[in-house]
Amino acid sequence: MSATATRPDESSANTLLKRFTAIPLKWRFVGFITLLAIAPFFTNNNYILRILGNVCMFSTLAVALNVVVGYAGLLDLGFVAFFGLGAYLYGLLSSPQLSALINACLGDRASAEFLFIVPGWFSLIVVALVSVGFGLSLGSPSLRLSGDYLAIVTLGFGLIFVQLSNTLDRVEFPGCQQPLNLTGGANGLLNIEPLRFFGFELQTVTHYFYALLIWMGIVLIAVHRLNQSRLGRAWRSMGEDALAAEIMGMPTRRLKLLAFATGSAISGVTGGIFAAWQGSAFPQNFSVDVLINMYAMMVLGGIGNLAGSVLGASVLSIIPELLRSPELIRMIFYVGLGAGLMLVKPRRNGLAVLIGVIVFGLIVKWIVGAAAPDLLSGPTLKVAAESISTAFERFSQQFGIFVQGWILLLKDSTLIGNLAFVVLVPALIALSRLKASRLKLIVTVPVLYLLAFVWESRLTAEPAVTRLLLVGSLLVVMMIFRPHGLLGQRKVEIA
Amino acid sequence: MQDFLAQLPQQIINGLTLGSVYALIALGYSMVYGILQLLNFAHGDVYMVGAYIGFGVLTALLPLIDTGLWPAMVILLMILAAMIGCGLLGVGIEWFAYRPLRNSPRIVPLISALGTSILIQNAVQLTLTAQFRVYKTEKLIALDSGLRLGDLAYISTTRALVILAAIVLMIALTYLVQRTKMGRAMRAVAIDREAAATMGVDVDRIIVFTFFIGSALAGGAGVLTGLVFPRIFHTMGFNAGLKGFTAAVVGGIGNIPGAMLGGMLLGVVEAFTTGFVSPTFKEAITFFVLIVFLLVRPRGLLGSTALQKV
Amino acid sequence: MALLEFTNVSKHFGGLQVIKDFSFEVQPGEIVSIIGPNGAGKTTVFNLITGIYAPDEGDIRLESKSIVGFEPHQICKLGIARTFQLLRLFLNMSVVENVMSAVYSRSHSNLAQIIFQTSGFKQEEDHIRRTAEAQLRFFGDALTSVFEQPVYSLPYADRRKVEIARAMATGPKILLLDEPAAGMNPNETLEITQLIGELRSRGGYTILLIEHDMQVVGGISDRVIALDYGEKIAEGRYQEVATNERVIEAYLGRKHNTT
Repeated sequence: MSATATRPDESSANTLLKRFTAIPLKWRFVGFITLLAIAPFFTNNNYILRILGNVCMFSTLAVALNVVVGYAGLLDLGFVAFFGLGAYLYGLLSSPQLSALINACLGDRASAEFLFIVPGWFSLIVVALVSVGFGLSLGSPSLRLSGDYLAIVTLGFGLIFVQLSNTLDRVEFPGCQQPLNLTGGANGLLNIEPLRFFGFELQTVTHYFYALLIWMGIVLIAVHRLNQSRLGRAWRSMGEDALAAEIMGMPTRRLKLLAFATGSAISGVTGGIFAAWQGSAFPQNFSVDVLINMYAMMVLGGIGNLAGSVLGASVLSIIPELLRSPELIRMIFYVGLGAGLMLVKPRRNGLAVLIGVIVFGLIVKWIVGAAAPDLLSGPTLKVAAESISTAFERFSQQFGIFVQGWILLLKDSTLIGNLAFVVLVPALIALSRLKASRLKLIVTVPVLYLLAFVWESRLTAEPAVTRLLLVGSLLVVMMIFRPHGLLGQRKVEIA
Repeated sequence: MQDFLAQLPQQIINGLTLGSVYALIALGYSMVYGILQLLNFAHGDVYMVGAYIGFGVLTALLPLIDTGLWPAMVILLMILAAMIGCGLLGVGIEWFAYRPLRNSPRIVPLISALGTSILIQNAVQLTLTAQFRVYKTEKLIALDSGLRLGDLAYISTTRALVILAAIVLMIALTYLVQRTKMGRAMRAVAIDREAAATMGVDVDRIIVFTFFIGSALAGGAGVLTGLVFPRIFHTMGFNAGLKGFTAAVVGGIGNIPGAMLGGMLLGVVEAFTTGFVSPTFKEAITFFVLIVFLLVRPRGLLGSTALQKV
Repeated sequence: MALLEFTNVSKHFGGLQVIKDFSFEVQPGEIVSIIGPNGAGKTTVFNLITGIYAPDEGDIRLESKSIVGFEPHQICKLGIARTFQLLRLFLNMSVVENVMSAVYSRSHSNLAQIIFQTSGFKQEEDHIRRTAEAQLRFFGDALTSVFEQPVYSLPYADRRKVEIARAMATGPKILLLDEPAAGMNPNETLEITQLIGELRSRGGYTILLIEHDMQVVGGISDRVIALDYGEKIAEGRYQEVATNERVIEAYLGRKHNTT
């Protein structure tokens, strides 16, 4: 229990989530799938459809990860390698690469150039089978290793995978005339065949979106059913207390291997579909960053919670896209901040801080504007006031101008922004450790302003870094304040 | 074979240089794991920050070197600044990211550590950009100065400095742990936290102290790395951290002489792999060693099997 | 034929000899208690029987078949179940799920049956649930209202009952109870004593008990075995063992002549 850290009161957020989870799982599932299924009828925008495709894909991956980590309690930090293996294997089989390999091997001993490409659906079957084998072999170290060690070993495997995919483009194989290019190295595997089912070829984003949606639906149903059976109970018992589970008759060795095999089979097939969709596979598709993303999704939703994994995957697939547009970034930040303040109880405290921050900003701008107008860029206070009365359609644009007029924007923002960032971090940390009191409310005002300042000056300019900063902060903050995630249940552990 | 023997001494020197750095990083890992059973994923990033601090000090003091400031002084300042800065950073990380989670299930602080690691890496990238920096070691130590060991090998001053500095730090740490009251308290907390608390040890203070020392050593390692391998970048902590952890495991996690031994061994193994097999397997060999050890001898070379009461 | 035979077993950990040439038997339908001061090796005996450790020497047999070298889950399937000194429940799972999980070894649904929800699977799930509820109902209706609650929310005495129910759900021939009365107040102790008796009379289980509380031991044991430093120092009915000089010495120390 954190003794001194105060938490933002969770009641409003909690009631919202409680009402959400009160809706029967079946309805939520059907509702979610239906919403997604009809989405392509409302938009032709490939960009949006791609995001939705990612939502399906990452939801599936997060669910698979949840089987290994959330149910069976096995901390697998190399999980992304299963995904990658599936993609590369599919890519190897269903592209000219396989033929190129055989040709390179035979060299001039062959009479003609070999060209054979395995049909997509067959490759997927092969991928599923090989993934199971891979999962079993990767799972065998887990039989002897406990939590932390397993984490590091699997992390090592994951890194080796990326390493190998980068370097296995010149493999000297005994009996082959030329070195074999197994993975395409840093350039990746290209020209991967699209999937074909019963003569129908999946070509567009929409096609693959539906393929991923169907696959996700199948996986969700299957995993849910597994969880509600003796297998799921055995996994969760093992995750709680492996020794007690073993003594109560559950074969923990077999169960661990089964968990790995299930997780890897699901991820492998997902990887295959991904490779067909992207038409290629690159080492950076399966880097540690992707793994961390998958973990963040699972953690956000709640470890061990199926619906949570889907929720986490959806949130973390959509938000980064919103971060690409400066206007949207701004909106999200300020609306998020405002909403966050409104969730704090008592309400009037949150409101007071919000108003305080606005007023504080106005004063700061006014002072700097009067004292050193040459430093400033962006609109003046006057323009800010005028923008409030503009029509609703241009709300976000005007909101943007308003905020930029309110916040201190400097011509050369990088250096000061960086300094502010460096000051901001300890300030936020110190703030979080203060006990709830009037002093805390007062101190919150300049700190929040500083946060907004840093956001405007630096973070909006570097969306990729910002995204990672947010993921990192999310992980730490979630663990400290809400380790069970959005939908998970508060958990207890034997000391 | 001739070739192998001829190159052997040089590779050993390379190995010891690498090993010194790994040993220093491994110590921090081992110490923290010993008292908290926590894998401090952010440790490697503390090492990276140390390298940057050293760079900052070097850049600031460069003009003064031309006006007579002793290079030795500069190096000393760099190391000191990095050690103190990183020590404080380590303390801050413990206070913020780990202390509230002392009684949480194991996975929780592990994920918090992951998040902290990402935060530090990207904070550095945000403020200092992804551009790598280069230590101007040539301003401190003449690049061609060194010691010729007969026909066999050549050890440059920089490498000698790294090895020596690491040895000095390790001796200092051993003295601290074995001969001082603080050290005794540290060892007690590592063996049994509750018992130590009932004996009057301020466990929180010891934990803070351990983080400070461990992180300071990593900071020093960062500077030393910068001096020898002058290119530093914001993702260098990840790999180095992993190697430091491997070294700690090889030596026996929680075991301080083990961390030193493991670090040196790992450095030599890596140098040998690079020199005699192929540089492509430089990273893979580390993981390979790690995996083999964890499967065959998880308690490491010097660790003891802790008996757990069922 | 003895149900459980523990014959000439020795076990050491590092330099410490924890069990020294220890032998005993449990007949079907008996309630046997093992007593001894702390550190005597009592829980180690349980750990040896359930397969967590393997004996250095000696043999352990269930219904005349040796169980040495089997994995714990196999031993459980053969008919040995236990509870733990410091409760080891699956804290974040519900009460009924804790007990249902123990029926694993007696159930058979495979992956395909589960995913496709065949009628065979549904029947078995039903059966598992009913079995678990039946075991919980053994303790009366007290636990019925909390079936779906996470087990960590239950008071201590009720958690003990759930752990026993879980052990029963494995369908054992012999129940090993490790200090079932630990941490209980006098009322609860009385309740648990009666309960253990009922486990035999109503449930038909053979019981091997480790206990410190002599009221419990005296209350229901057919036979008592005393252990000290890993060696058997007395065996017999409670009255005999309780008044045995060596046993008293082991607990209280040797009487010194005072001058």
